[in-house]
Amino acid sequence: MSHAPVTKYFDDVAVGDDIPQLVKGPLTLIHLVRWSAATENWHRIHYDRAYARDHDGLPDVLVNGSLKQQFVAQMLKDWAGLEGWVWKVAIQFRAMDVVGTTLRVWGRVAGKRACPGYGLVRVRLGIAGADETESTRGQALVALPYLGGPPVPYPFVPPAPELWQGEW
Amino acid sequence: MAQLLTEEIKAYIGRETPEIPLGDPVEKGAVRRFAQAIMDHDPIYNDGAYAAATRYREPVAPPLYPLTMMRTAFDAPDLIAQQAHDPDFHGLIDTSAMGLPPLPVGNSPQLNAGSEIELYRYAKHGESVTVQSRYLDIFERKTSRGPMLCVIIESDFKGEAGDLICRFRKTLLRQ
Repeated sequence: MSHAPVTKYFDDVAVGDDIPQLVKGPLTLIHLVRWSAATENWHRIHYDRAYARDHDGLPDVLVNGSLKQQFVAQMLKDWAGLEGWVWKVAIQFRAMDVVGTTLRVWGRVAGKRACPGYGLVRVRLGIAGADETESTRGQALVALPYLGGPPVPYPFVPPAPELWQGEW
Repeated sequence: MAQLLTEEIKAYIGRETPEIPLGDPVEKGAVRRFAQAIMDHDPIYNDGAYAAATRYREPVAPPLYPLTMMRTAFDAPDLIAQQAHDPDFHGLIDTSAMGLPPLPVGNSPQLNAGSEIELYRYAKHGESVTVQSRYLDIFERKTSRGPMLCVIIESDFKGEAGDLICRFRKTLLRQ
């Protein structure tokens, strides 16, 4: 992913557009231990195979949900660019991803809502894991500036509820 | 099957913490370790000259960084050392409840079922952050692993000026 500053405009986005996917993995035990250490989360199901299997009855060590949601946030942030803003993200973990899995994070524009000052884009998203099993589903609302319009306010100022609740 | 949602557990619904200062301010080194762990090498996290040319003006932490800022206080009891030799100890320490009193469910399995996040700005390097959490709801749900407690915790993360950085609502499953 290049981090050269580019601006994505609401006007240039269409329903059905795919967001560039983010691929992470294969996620080894080392990746998971590094995440556990960075966040000081010592839950054994993320690094202790015997505990995960024998004590908690899990298929193997699990990829942290907290790590998967970082990948979702990264994909959306990179797509929105420096002038956009990822406002809301909802994620449901529907299945487990075990150590060794490569995760493919995807998103697709599902709706657009023009608001005063900026536009809101609704994104459907998910994470596909081993055998393309969809372990995670979710959606997001991303604010993008209008072409020739003012920047999206930072810190973000959300629109009035009646302007976006139909999209959520 | 014993009832999971006891009156004792129901009584936790609505319990709220005060605004708790999170242990350490946003540290440059901690941001680096975090960014490396999520494999996101965005220069906005580390490069002052790059950040100065953006509307953020200074390096910031990754979007969801505040969500994991709750740490064990330096002088707190060492729950890891106390329980490290217990084969049943799940490794979770009090920080997983976001400052709330842990539910009386012992070492029962815990799974992350999802979250809802509202972001208003990024945390800045050197900034102190507070969190205020509440048990929004607790109910029983049938899952493929049998009945589980569904625990919804909402946390507000605020900056030094008291402004909302982000709101985090997570759903935990406890067996």
